Amino acid sequence: MKRVRHAALRMCTSLLWIVATSSFANTYVVTIEQMRFNPPALTVHRGDEIVWVNKDLVAHTASSDTKAPDAGFDSQSIAPDASWRYRASTPGRYTYRCIFHPTMHGTLTIEPAR
Amino acid sequence: MKSAHWLLLAALAVFAFAGAPAWAQSSGPTDPQIAAIVVAANQADIDAGKLAESKAHSQDVKAFAQQMVKDHTAVNKTAVDLVNKLGVKPETNPTSDSLKQGGAANIANLKPLQGAKFDRAYIDHEVTYHQNVIDALDKTLIPSAQNAELKALLVKVRPAFVAHLEHAKMVQSSLPQAQ
Repeated sequence: MKRVRHAALRMCTSLLWIVATSSFANTYVVTIEQMRFNPPALTVHRGDEIVWVNKDLVAHTASSDTKAPDAGFDSQSIAPDASWRYRASTPGRYTYRCIFHPTMHGTLTIEPAR
Repeated sequence: MKSAHWLLLAALAVFAFAGAPAWAQSSGPTDPQIAAIVVAANQADIDAGKLAESKAHSQDVKAFAQQMVKDHTAVNKTAVDLVNKLGVKPETNPTSDSLKQGGAANIANLKPLQGAKFDRAYIDHEVTYHQNVIDALDKTLIPSAQNAELKALLVKVRPAFVAHLEHAKMVQSSLPQAQ
């Protein structure tokens, strides 16, 4: 009986956490168009979601220069008219670029959770 | 004014693609002619890129060439899809012919070259080629396009040519100076 109560408690805690984080997390869009990231610099909080939407005719990537296993991001190829989502994790300032087109740069700053 | 631009485009094409015939026309290109020019311009760079993918010595030049093949293939696909949708039949014209002949002359020029000499010749041509295409887009193709969707496509593709030009210049400046 105790086990069941503990399991139920754990489930409730998890549900509360999901509800809490989803209530406070925001979604931001970075449009890739005309061979640029727009906005080029974005500040979000841990837990927020960023969506890169490729509106160009050619494929792009959003790849952070930081390649630590627990930080940074790499979308791999985002096809034209496709998008890629990333949930902001480790706080920090990440410069990123398109690995296909070295003239394209952006910055993502992740602040601690709200 | 339009005819002056059209003549300039022809002159640029002749200048950029050695061996192409000189020509003149009294008015700007029609939409079917623009479609043929766009496809020929992209194809010339795809062909040069494919050769450079296999022959380039420097990794930067090879990566650039691979990117040119990918991007120009994507642009050509979009252009062909649009002209098919619009029911426009690409019409060959002196400029598209010079682009084709110039592309073939470029390949013939590059083929015997090896190593650093190949890299230098390929990249130097890429810089000139992209600059000339941007000039042609600005001065002739975009102003002459009648169909709104075709014009929008030309406007949309321009930043890719600008980024390619900047990329080509970056690679060019990283190469050792010619002996």
